Amino acid sequence: MFKAKLKEAIICFGAGRVTLKYPFEPSPVPPKFRGKIEFDARKCIACGGCANVCPPRCIVIEDMGEVAKITFNLDRCIQCARCYEVCPEKAIWPTDEFETATPDKSDLTSEMIVWMSSCQRCGRCFETDNAIDKFESKRWRGRGPGEANKHGIFPVKPPIDFTLPGSLVREPEGEQVQ
Amino acid sequence: MISDLCKKMLSKSLWLFHTNCGACNGCDIEVIDVLTPYYDVERFGMKLVGSPRHADALVITGSVSRQVAPALKRLYEATPDPKVVIAVGTCAVGGNIWFDTYNILGGADKVVPVTVYIPGCPPRPEAIIYGAALALGMVPKKVKPQREQHVPRGFDLDAYIARWQDTPVVTR
Amino acid sequence: MSPETLQKKFLKGLTEQFPDILGKLREYVPGQLIAVLSRDELPKVTKYAVNQLGARFVITVATDQRDKTGDFGISYILAFDEEKQFLVLHSNLPADDPRIESVTPDVPAANWAEREAYDMVGIVPEGHPDPRRLVLPDDFPAGIHPLRKEYEYNTRFPSEPQNAPPRMPPPEGSTVVPLGPFYPTLEEPAYFRLFLDGERVVGSDYRGFYNHRAVEKLGDSELNYNQVPFVAQQICGICGQVHSCAYVEAVERACEIETPMRAKYIRTILLELERIHSHLLWVGLAGHIIAFDTVLMQLWRIREPVMWLMERVTGNRKHYSSNLVGGVRFDITLEAAEDIRRVLDKVEEEFKAVVDAVLIDTSLMARLKDVGILTEENARALGAVGPTARGSNVAIDCRVDHPYAAYDQLDVQKQVQDGCDCWARTLVRLYEVFESIRLVRKALDQMPGGPIMAKIDGSLPADRIGLCSVEAARGESHHYVRTGDNNRPYRWRLRAPTYPNLQAVGCMIQGVNLADVPICIGSYDPCFSCTERVETLDVNTNEIRVYTREELQELSRRKTLG
Repeated sequence: MFKAKLKEAIICFGAGRVTLKYPFEPSPVPPKFRGKIEFDARKCIACGGCANVCPPRCIVIEDMGEVAKITFNLDRCIQCARCYEVCPEKAIWPTDEFETATPDKSDLTSEMIVWMSSCQRCGRCFETDNAIDKFESKRWRGRGPGEANKHGIFPVKPPIDFTLPGSLVREPEGEQVQ
Repeated sequence: MISDLCKKMLSKSLWLFHTNCGACNGCDIEVIDVLTPYYDVERFGMKLVGSPRHADALVITGSVSRQVAPALKRLYEATPDPKVVIAVGTCAVGGNIWFDTYNILGGADKVVPVTVYIPGCPPRPEAIIYGAALALGMVPKKVKPQREQHVPRGFDLDAYIARWQDTPVVTR
Repeated sequence: MSPETLQKKFLKGLTEQFPDILGKLREYVPGQLIAVLSRDELPKVTKYAVNQLGARFVITVATDQRDKTGDFGISYILAFDEEKQFLVLHSNLPADDPRIESVTPDVPAANWAEREAYDMVGIVPEGHPDPRRLVLPDDFPAGIHPLRKEYEYNTRFPSEPQNAPPRMPPPEGSTVVPLGPFYPTLEEPAYFRLFLDGERVVGSDYRGFYNHRAVEKLGDSELNYNQVPFVAQQICGICGQVHSCAYVEAVERACEIETPMRAKYIRTILLELERIHSHLLWVGLAGHIIAFDTVLMQLWRIREPVMWLMERVTGNRKHYSSNLVGGVRFDITLEAAEDIRRVLDKVEEEFKAVVDAVLIDTSLMARLKDVGILTEENARALGAVGPTARGSNVAIDCRVDHPYAAYDQLDVQKQVQDGCDCWARTLVRLYEVFESIRLVRKALDQMPGGPIMAKIDGSLPADRIGLCSVEAARGESHHYVRTGDNNRPYRWRLRAPTYPNLQAVGCMIQGVNLADVPICIGSYDPCFSCTERVETLDVNTNEIRVYTREELQELSRRKTLG
């Protein structure tokens, strides 16, 4: 018993002081770290590769003919960097930024508007070796409620109502004991 | 002056009550992690308490499932005012991958008002410390939305988008 | 069927009892036998295989296949661990009458699986002893089974609070102690009702699934093969790599994709590193529960360099996002391998010191020995997995029994203890850390060069079935994938290791003191993240007493001090 406690004390003292000075000194991230994503509208060709592979569908592209509006709902970004991996132009990349706390959720929605008609670089729009990631699996998640599964372009339905049903919030109930 | 002094003296000891509202555990462990030797937020007076009635702040992780929502609401009501609600992790902020599934309400702010959002999957312990400091107003906010446009000069974008308002927009 | 499979012992036993089953067995993937049986045969074969041939019940998969064949499907998955074999018993049930005879009275491990099959797909287990709602929330409308294809994954179902499942009546003369839903010993909010006689636990009732997140529905209907690994890794913050790995291996087996060996080694290394940090975490938290906070602080100090290592190697502390169907996304470079070796040397040295101290610490033994007994028979009957089972002398370890990734080349040693108590489960985990460190080193030495991603051209074939079991830190995590059209899974079923272990907890806490309940629940490695609130209601005085986490811990601590 005493021996065990002595050994434990040695472990504790042997470690010394390890606490990081984080808030007073910066804490650098490793080179591979995947932080908040950033993008460049000049490079983007709005091919939709990133929106296609994004697992939480945080990248949504609205095609408006001559322009495409790309919304990044970073509030549900899981930092997998799949968008960076598939982007043919490397127009989107993860940064080192991790201090992204904010009191205002709208800070986490970025958007970009890209001019479409001027794109002369066709022929190398989003091409990937991986058959699963190819175009055919595109435009799936986010269809309106009740709409049938289908490929191809579909109209955007109004956003789904996420409010809490009133009856969900119940009065506390006591434990019933027979 | 006294109120200033009080603010200065009392602003640091934040007692946290931590609730898991359908999280994957990743963020919960990071929350515990900031209490352990390397990060040690107890040096700022922050600690986890066992009852919402003792807490100044509610730390919510998880995307809030239907089953847990009433309990979360009751927890919020049990926490004395003034209170701070910190949503930790992408699930609590925006609902993560399951933001629109049938059993998920999609974020803590769908049920209770949230003071500070800390995105990240999971956030680094440093990011959690930063978020807690932000909730207390000790550090400035760093993140801002990125808005970029790349259209030719002279192109009236607002008018163009306004024209598209009535036509069904297609997404990809 | 391959000649080796035909020689297997269980098959002989099965054909003796059911002679015509041999013609119904198919082996599409090595190690997986599939038999399509009639509705009457299926329960008989399942019961016989489990009770007479020693099969381990894994999971039930209910499928809504009405859009393909016009009926429902149900598959019972059994594992013959010694013979490295999975057996899928499948039956098709008519769409207007989806009933099947319940096997739960004879196979207790099937309890939750059959209840879940009713909740999610609506297949009625006839004669089930406890057919209460399990998965869906209390106010979910009756008669709606969300995994049926007619419901969209994002439908908002109306609220019907009258559908809450009834609570189990407590035994005569006992006190009811509700634990939860915000309670620290589970990875999810869960609600335990303990029935007490004095301080002894005489029974328990469980209501969980507070974080049912519609994972399977999302995978079945919306996401493509390469998006599901990311959903899979978000299932659990500790064993995320396990789930994504199990899913991709299941798809690869079903579609016969040749994954490069280097990718398999990278998966193995990440899995073992994950096991190391998970076990370090568990030992620390176990110390915390029994008021030995030194262990918590020191173990988490030792663990932190592993987390930084993961961040350097994969780019994130958890949720490494490394797996895709056919391979992995990042390579482990030579520098990264050096880095891993360096960190592991330090962790091993420090952890060895801790283990030396812990193994002779009598105060720790006093709290863990002979507490939370789960006998070998009960562990087998309830289908316990992982360290929970290995602490009860049940030698199952998927790394050996159903090898995946590169484990067949690594010669894993099973860590088994026969104490059947919390101490035995602790020992298993302590020794597994050293075993994992050894495995990572060996894998780094043996790792071959070459590509890390297989070439995939064209759609993956539909209607194949792949199974994969991956040994997580807590036990076997099982994934079942039935492939579908348009590069999407048709049915994806997963079973986390806590699923069978949680069913064993009722048996484990039978007869222990209230103060020992936290460590019993803790000893099968759920997560203690949320803070608990225990409320007792004294029957005699009708006075409600609320135990806070501190008070419960105080109870637990007082016991340590004597």
